[in-house]
Parts: sequence; structure tokens; C-alpha cells
Amino acid sequence: MADSPRTAGIQCVIVTPETTILDVKARSVVLPLEDGQRGVGRGHAPFIGRLGAGAVRITTVDGREAVHSVFVEKGFVEVSHDVVTVITQRALPAEKLDLGTARQDLAAISSQAARGDEAIDAKLQAQQAAREIVRIAERAR
Amino acid sequence: MAKARALDRRRKSVRNIRKITRTMELIATARFKKAMDRSVAARDYTKHLASMLENIAAVGADVDHPLLEIRPTKRTAVLVLTGNRGLCGGYNSNIVRQAMALLGQWKSEQVGTTVAVSGKRGIGALKFRGVEVAETYTTFEDKPEYAAVAPIGQAYLEAYAAGEIDRLDVAYTRFHGIAKQEAVTEMLLPLAPPEAAEGSGRLASDEYDFYPSARSILEELLPASFMSRLFKCFLDAAVSEQVARMVAMKAATENAGGLIKSLSRAYNRARQSQITGEIMEILGGVEALKQ
Repeated sequence: MADSPRTAGIQCVIVTPETTILDVKARSVVLPLEDGQRGVGRGHAPFIGRLGAGAVRITTVDGREAVHSVFVEKGFVEVSHDVVTVITQRALPAEKLDLGTARQDLAAISSQAARGDEAIDAKLQAQQAAREIVRIAERAR
Repeated sequence: MAKARALDRRRKSVRNIRKITRTMELIATARFKKAMDRSVAARDYTKHLASMLENIAAVGADVDHPLLEIRPTKRTAVLVLTGNRGLCGGYNSNIVRQAMALLGQWKSEQVGTTVAVSGKRGIGALKFRGVEVAETYTTFEDKPEYAAVAPIGQAYLEAYAAGEIDRLDVAYTRFHGIAKQEAVTEMLLPLAPPEAAEGSGRLASDEYDFYPSARSILEELLPASFMSRLFKCFLDAAVSEQVARMVAMKAATENAGGLIKSLSRAYNRARQSQITGEIMEILGGVEALKQ
């Protein structure tokens, strides 16, 4: 494999229980960890982290620079030796998101009443996820 | 002409049956390929999840989690995965036999069991045997979806955490390869503790950092690993069902071919002997006229 700094990148894999969503060479990957975003470039120290809801943004190296964004909700990421593996239960590529439905979903979740601590937590999580989807969909346009 | 005509009619109906079984074989083959692709695609997830668990275990994080804890079995749950349709050889009856053996064992040990069944065939068979079925699912066909399996798994996790069940077994057909599928019962809860990855040429620099902590990741990772194992059971069951149907229909098609052959032979013989008989009669008549 060519190892010159221009072409060498990190392998980024996103898998869900049903299939592998994405498997590309990337220059850098931005991950939505539970407590904030984290960028990963070449030679990053290995770590395992928990993901929150948000976009995985990938800058690819093949030819022109393109940015993939994939919405993930909960899951884990393993970074080791220039391989980034994202394991998540739900992953939606940005180009498949629809802004209209995303906004409707957000409105529907926001208008629901939640009683009790657990229900409120669940609602807040769902709301945050829906907000992230709207944000990604807006950016993808 | 009576006997020959009856044989011909039977041959025709066997031909029609052969057409149907051959079509079913082709359909099962196509579905099997699709189900197989899905199963292969899902393997990556399980693989990555397992390697992550190994890495965490290798760091030596103290792994005590409610899902790993082995409790004395007082109440157990059994999930039986069968098909919605028959005509697939021994597929459904093998699973039912496995499930009945397990249920018999729990009964003799006087352990309370909650039974859930997926697939119309299994529901019917277990009801016939007088098993009380708490939950039934008939929506899983050749393409089980994770989103449909997740709520079932979630319910089991909650029941386990609340102490309503101490053990969960799944009776399903494990897919080893196209030539081998086997009806098994597998214990999914409590989970088998993750084993540390053993010296696979790992470097010292492979020490992982954890965000936020190994423990909190493990807390999420274990339920996810249970879910993926449960989902794999559904996928295996779907693939195995298609293979079983494919094999059964292939055998039926071949059988029909053999039957047609022997019917044709009998028909030709009957027709020939009839013709011979008629000629003999005519000859007899001619002889009689000559005299």
C-alpha cells in the first residue's frame, strides 16, 4: 500500500447489526462521543469510546475531497492503528435523510408530554437525536 | 382402455405436482441467497463487537455485570423460532422436538417457564402438545429485521434485570453451512463472560484508552452483544428454513420424476397388452371365419 502522506489515510468502517453501511479510506473522521465531538486523524492513539447521537463526519482522500456524514444513535467506536470502527444500532447516511420528515419527527417528539424521570430522559434523548437529524439534513442540502 | 387411462391421469397429476415443487425449489433457492447475504452482512457487526469485548476484557476491567451473573434458575424463558410455513422437511419438527426436550427438563426440575414462539408451525405444534404459550410472533419470514427483533430482546433484558427470569434459552436451527444445519437450544442469558484476547501478536501500544470508562462502555456493550446474538439466531433460523425447503423440494421434484417414469412404463405396458389382446381377438375371429 502506498504510504505517502497524501494518499495514505485511515480506514473508516461503520457497521450496524444488519449490514456494513460504509467502508472507506478517510483523511480524518469526526466522531460524536457521548460528551462531545472528537476528531481522529492518522496515528491517533487507540481508544474505545461510547457514542452519543450525532453525525460521524468523514473527509475522504480519494481524488477530490468529499465529506460523508452519517447519523448514528448510540453505539461504540474503536480506534486502533489507523482503523476506525463504528458499531451502532442505527445509522442513516445524510443523503438518505429527508428534511421535511425530520422536522415533523422533531415536532412530534417535542409535543409529546412525558411524565416520570425515565420518560423525561427518554424524551430528551429522542429529542436530541431528532434535532441532530434535522441539523444533518439541513447541512446535506 | 380403463386401466391405461387411469394411469395416464395419475401421470398428469404427478407432472403438475412436479411443476409446483420445482417452482418452490427455485423460490427457496432465491430466498436462501438473499437471506444468506443478509446473514453474511450481519457477521461484521458481531465480529467487531466480539473483538471490542475482548479488548476490554484484556485490559482487565472488572467484569461484573447483572447480565453475567449466574443465578439459581427459578424462572426461565424459552424462545422457539420456527417457520410460518411447512413443506420444508423436518425443519419445524426438529425445533419443536428440541424445545419439548428442554421444556420437559424444566418441568421435571419444577422450574417455571415462560414460552414464546415465532412461526405459525411452532405455535400450532406446541399448542397441540399442551404447552402454554405466553407470546407468539408470526411476522418473521425470510428477512428478519433488527428493528423488529430489538423490542423482543429489550423485553427479555428488562425481565432479566427485574429478576422475572433467571435464564433465557432459544431453540432454533443453527446454520453451519449449506450442507449442515442443526436444531439446537442455546442459552443466551446469562451471558458468557467475555474472554481476554490472547497474545495474537498484540503490541504494547495496543493499550486502549476508554471514554468515558471501561466499565461504562461494558455496561452498554453487553446488552448490545446480547442483542446481536439474539438477532443472529433469527437470521440463522431464516437461512436454515430456506435451505430446508430447498432440499425438501429438490427431493420432492426428483421423487416426482421417478414416479412419472414408473407410471409411464406401466402405462405403456398396459396400452401394449391391450393392443395385443385386441389383435389376438381379431386373429381368433379370422380363424373362426376360416373354418
